[in-house]
Amino acid sequence: MQNDHIIEHKIVFLGNPNVGKSSLFNLLTGSHQHVGNWPGKTIEKKEGHFILSDEFFSLIDLPGTYSLSARSDEEIVTRKFITEEEPDLVCIISDATRLERTLFLALQTMELTKKIAIFINMTDLAEKIGLYIDNKKLEEQLGVPVLLVSATDDNSVIRIKKFLYDAIHTDKYEFNPAMLLYSTKIELMIQSISRQIEYRSICTEYPTRWLAVKILEGDESVIETLEAEYDLTNVFDKINKLAKSEKLDLNVELSKSKYSILHKIVASSVTGFKDFQESRSDKVDKIILNKFWSYPILIVIYAAFFLITFYASSPIINGIDLGISQFSFIVENWLININSPAILTSLIVNGIIAGIAAVLLFIPIIVIFYSLIAIMEDSGYLARSAFIMDRVMSKFGLQGTAFLSMVMGFGCNVAGIMATRTIKNEKDRISMIITNSFLPCAARLGVIAFLTGIFFEPWLAALLMLTLYGFSIFLVLASSLLFGLFFKKNDPLPLIMELPEYRRPRLRNIYYLTWTRAGIFIKKAGTFIFIASLFIWLMSSIPFGAPPERTIAGYLGRGISYVTEPLLGLDWKMVIPLLFGIPAKEAIISALGILYSTGGSIIEVLKASWSIPQAISFLLFQLTYAPCFAALAAIRSETKSWKLTALGFYYPIIVTIIFTTIVFQILNFVM
Amino acid sequence: MKQLLLLIDIDENKIVLVKEISAGYKAQRFLADLGIHEGERIRVTKNDVGPVIVEVKGTRVAIGRGLAIKVKVLLEE
Repeated sequence: MQNDHIIEHKIVFLGNPNVGKSSLFNLLTGSHQHVGNWPGKTIEKKEGHFILSDEFFSLIDLPGTYSLSARSDEEIVTRKFITEEEPDLVCIISDATRLERTLFLALQTMELTKKIAIFINMTDLAEKIGLYIDNKKLEEQLGVPVLLVSATDDNSVIRIKKFLYDAIHTDKYEFNPAMLLYSTKIELMIQSISRQIEYRSICTEYPTRWLAVKILEGDESVIETLEAEYDLTNVFDKINKLAKSEKLDLNVELSKSKYSILHKIVASSVTGFKDFQESRSDKVDKIILNKFWSYPILIVIYAAFFLITFYASSPIINGIDLGISQFSFIVENWLININSPAILTSLIVNGIIAGIAAVLLFIPIIVIFYSLIAIMEDSGYLARSAFIMDRVMSKFGLQGTAFLSMVMGFGCNVAGIMATRTIKNEKDRISMIITNSFLPCAARLGVIAFLTGIFFEPWLAALLMLTLYGFSIFLVLASSLLFGLFFKKNDPLPLIMELPEYRRPRLRNIYYLTWTRAGIFIKKAGTFIFIASLFIWLMSSIPFGAPPERTIAGYLGRGISYVTEPLLGLDWKMVIPLLFGIPAKEAIISALGILYSTGGSIIEVLKASWSIPQAISFLLFQLTYAPCFAALAAIRSETKSWKLTALGFYYPIIVTIIFTTIVFQILNFVM
Repeated sequence: MKQLLLLIDIDENKIVLVKEISAGYKAQRFLADLGIHEGERIRVTKNDVGPVIVEVKGTRVAIGRGLAIKVKVLLEE
């Protein structure tokens, strides 16, 4: 596709979190996008394109960031990209209702490159609260094009596309970013450093003035790179002396100056901005974040969230299940009719169709789970739940954002592990990556719901389910305390978190948010589950025609059960599904189905063959015993370490064996 | 001369002038990038249990109590 278009334009989207940057990106690129990682970094890189007048416009959506200092990898990646990749245009997305804050990034970027345009988004919301923005006045003062847009309005898309085309092809727009002048003292220092840089003929891809500003700010990343090649002791001595004599806190002085310049610009171009008034969000927060109600409300919302996921998906799952078994039956009969060899029939029916079924069956639950999360996220509640949970999480040495990765993990651990990216503290992040597989994903929810329903009265089943979930959360939190003992203590960054305004969730945003997360599951887990299903079929079919206990899987299961039966109460027929569940947890149910459906319904057979302690032992064991292969791959790609990946595999197994043995031995003794 | 107070002791809905932040480099930077620095006026929107929430430049920022204790402010009438 790309090769058909000779002319390609590279356009970058940059902006604060929650300014609707991704919504605009999605509107412009539609389904022509893919998500990847920056090489060597676990930072998302979203790329998409659109074609206008036979020209290829490639759009890169950079991670949401507040500034271009070197506080995080995101910010370093962003500024590297802008200078090294030399995009045709950098578009700063800003929020009309929070103009000063969201233009701060524009001011920073203007020191880095000239090719900047500013899109002021959410103008519809601004209009509603009586804000009027004069974009011509902003253009005059900033020296770059300023567009007023709204991600809810299709007309904006057409205007943006036309703007991008014209900006590249015509002289209609001017790109002369205004030079920000700091206070005289600072300007003198900048000049002095700039001279030093030029005198030493220091050569980087960054503009000299920008380097000088960064050196003044004490930017670690810039200083490190420069110090590796040049001796800058003189420069720093000079800066420190000056700063001391002028009593300047250089760390924040330049940000402060930018804000004060910005304040003047915004004040002259915006009318109707009301500061320090109780907004609608404040009123809602009085209830949602109330010291007595916040936890009950949180529990009700999350309980509803899990119940809806479970009950809304079960009729769909049953429907798909019915359809597949009908289809499988028809195919099997047809294959028998045309006299296909038994092994081929078995491969197609029990291997391929069963494999596809295992993938299909989990799509509804995953899609519903992540669309509900998207609703919470888009409305502004998800950020608040991290805020509320911060108090609880801090008791375990974690921050509120760690709670979100746990919530995500209940859908699919791969998504949960990827959600740890918002955790800024390295120790917390590693701990949450390694322990995320303790949290039962949708696949294990299936096993838990199925088995508790067979063995226990409904109220007892519900209680047991809650206990199992509670236990898995306990393991994650306790492990964090445990890991805290081994990692070297670095000062954790205190909680600083922007709370987005409450908004009515928008269908488009929910669609894209759901699609990116459910897509991860469908793509990654889909292939894993399918291959695992074929593998299971192979293991349990060789030698072909033998009874289950004489297949490869049977021998393996019997070998392992010499240890697991006395210790955990798991006999060979129980070991096999767990073994198959290691690559993909979805396989547990299908393996149970194959092994226990001979001679009657699976429910009756299971009830007759397992004792209660055995059933509980099985439930407890499958709850936490090992991450699936897709989750392991995610651990590896997020930590970039084989050692930690190995830890992520063995740690849950050891913990599970210890706890399950204790529980089984006690139950076996008393019952 | 009015007395400097700690952000953590400010009642809800009060507007204050930030005078001094004595936190670590990164925290100080982050706050400055969000517009919270010496000389800025902010409004406390929530302060009972858990992090303090302040309004700054039309946005709401939650600040952990451990950090809020390091922010010295001047109460405005």
